[in-house]
Amino acid sequence: MTYSEVEAVAGFVGNFHVTIRQKARYVDPNQCTGCAECAKVCPVALPDEYQQGFSSRKAIYIPFPQAVPSAYVLDMNHCLGNFPLACGKCAEVCEKKCINYDDQDKLVNIEVGVIIAATGMDVYDPTEYDEYGYTRYENVITSMEFERLICAGGPTEGHFIRPSDSKIPKSIGFIQCVGSRSRDGRGNPYCSNICCMNTVKDTLLLCDHYPGVQANVFYMDIRAFGKGFEDLFMRSKEEGVKYIRGIPGEVVENPQSKNLVLTVENTTTGKLEKHELEMLVLAQGVIPRQDNDVVRKLLTLSTTSDGFVMESHPKLKPVDAPTKGIFIAGCVESPKDVKDSVTQAGAAAARASILLNAGKTKVEAITSQVDGERCNFCGLCSQVCPYNAIMSADRKTKKLPVIIQAACAGCGACAAECPQDAILMRHFRDEQIMAQVEAILEKDPHNQLVTFACNWCSYAGGDNAGTARLQYPTTCRLIRTMCSGRVDQKFIFHAFKLGAPMVLVSGCHFSDCHYISAVQWTQKRMDRIWSKMDRLGIRADRLILEWISAAEGQKFARVMRQLEEKLKSVTKAEIEHTMKALSEEEAKGKAKKPKKAAEVEV
Amino acid sequence: MAPRETKFKCLMCGHEYAGMYDPQNVTERTCPNCRSSSVRRMSESKGGEE
Repeated sequence: MTYSEVEAVAGFVGNFHVTIRQKARYVDPNQCTGCAECAKVCPVALPDEYQQGFSSRKAIYIPFPQAVPSAYVLDMNHCLGNFPLACGKCAEVCEKKCINYDDQDKLVNIEVGVIIAATGMDVYDPTEYDEYGYTRYENVITSMEFERLICAGGPTEGHFIRPSDSKIPKSIGFIQCVGSRSRDGRGNPYCSNICCMNTVKDTLLLCDHYPGVQANVFYMDIRAFGKGFEDLFMRSKEEGVKYIRGIPGEVVENPQSKNLVLTVENTTTGKLEKHELEMLVLAQGVIPRQDNDVVRKLLTLSTTSDGFVMESHPKLKPVDAPTKGIFIAGCVESPKDVKDSVTQAGAAAARASILLNAGKTKVEAITSQVDGERCNFCGLCSQVCPYNAIMSADRKTKKLPVIIQAACAGCGACAAECPQDAILMRHFRDEQIMAQVEAILEKDPHNQLVTFACNWCSYAGGDNAGTARLQYPTTCRLIRTMCSGRVDQKFIFHAFKLGAPMVLVSGCHFSDCHYISAVQWTQKRMDRIWSKMDRLGIRADRLILEWISAAEGQKFARVMRQLEEKLKSVTKAEIEHTMKALSEEEAKGKAKKPKKAAEVEV
Repeated sequence: MAPRETKFKCLMCGHEYAGMYDPQNVTERTCPNCRSSSVRRMSESKGGEE
């Protein structure tokens, strides 16, 4: 379905209900022959987005020559108006009578078993790099604009000309890493992956079209990894392209010739150089699509700190999203070239077909279940669930929340947040975890460091410290939970009540969370627990939170050593006061009636 | 609730600093002084610890 947008996605693996908005195109694609008579008479002229604004289009147009279906679409935002009809020329000349001004958006509901997200990327807008003069100088263009100018199907039919005087430039510069690998607050810190080879390809195209043209490439590093890429790079050098290691700090235009003078420190020679060029191309980086957040919310995906969608596991499940039945391909996941995108798309399609062909799926053994006796229908669990796996309770009809077992990933955030303890986690039940706390603090509790560690990161970080033979104090006692989001406040207070001097909660870094956003609940809960500790007169710094990844064995050992020092600062009198305060609090809690849904802090 | 500037306190080193807090999108906190994640949000309205 083209010219459509996904409005809503509900359901779970094998049973996704997708609502799609099929936009009104005001032209019947089955009737339209693409004769272009309508566009000829359309009086509206607009910059052609596909040609990067180098040419114009009409209000009725085909977005790009390869568009499928090859039928016209009416841009109603720029049409002179159809209510009342202000022009109507396109309809008058259309022989097939396929223009319908009364066309409306249609909502289409479909049911699918799996979803592949391949929504692509955007390119970085280099306007904030003011020193390159992109907004001031006509002859400074971006690599996307270069593509249109050099393309035979482009606005100049492949004649690469300067925008200022329409002459073919004899010298062209390329500045690499515009908006990529930047640490100065502009652009993005990551490498955009494709720009180096794109520039190498562009220089070869130039040399092929215009023998004798001088191309200078200003770069930090040329990253020419991949099959055949190094050969291509060497070919470019052999063609006479100059590669100058250094990023220009300033670009100034000569007002008469419109040539551009670049000042650059050549880091190979250590000299400051000036280069006068007739045209400059900025190799802009790539960025996540602006609507990635919409896609993320629709499909309950998580994103990394740079805004690209996170895979379930970078090595073992690189095309699986954390939500079962959803796969990712292409630049929605990270910047990549066509070959890698096609490879990933093939892998995603294969992974999807495994599920579809099986017709059934295995559910997690560790999932939540609702205790109907305890639930007070507050609905908090469905708000907490990162996977939308809990169909909300209804207080009016006394409908219990329903946990979709196929969608539940077993993070346990719902169980930890439920104020009524009405959610039970299979294999990580409250009683099981409390029993571990009790066992740790059975002997010499004042010298035990109770540590809750998430299965995927912190626990593995501890393993990493162990296998690397790193020294850390023996007071550390680990309790494994699937996610730090499972660590209920009652586990922590139970440990303090039994005489624990310090408690550590550790989990994945936010960008590594294996349960989309469950760590956010850990952070929120910790803020609440620290506040409660204040109210009870317990030092808040006796409860520590650390995000430790599986690779951070060093950090794990360092945190343990730091906490060993902190542990020594906790006096016996302090511990006894804590135990007393918590016992009194527990007695009060037992006397008090259960919290109502409205009182629950979200 | 809209994002707002709030005070944070590191429970490892005691360092206090101001930063943005968005209740709708809680982000990872790191103490700029000691790099610990044990950073506590302080109540902005009461001026004390929440």
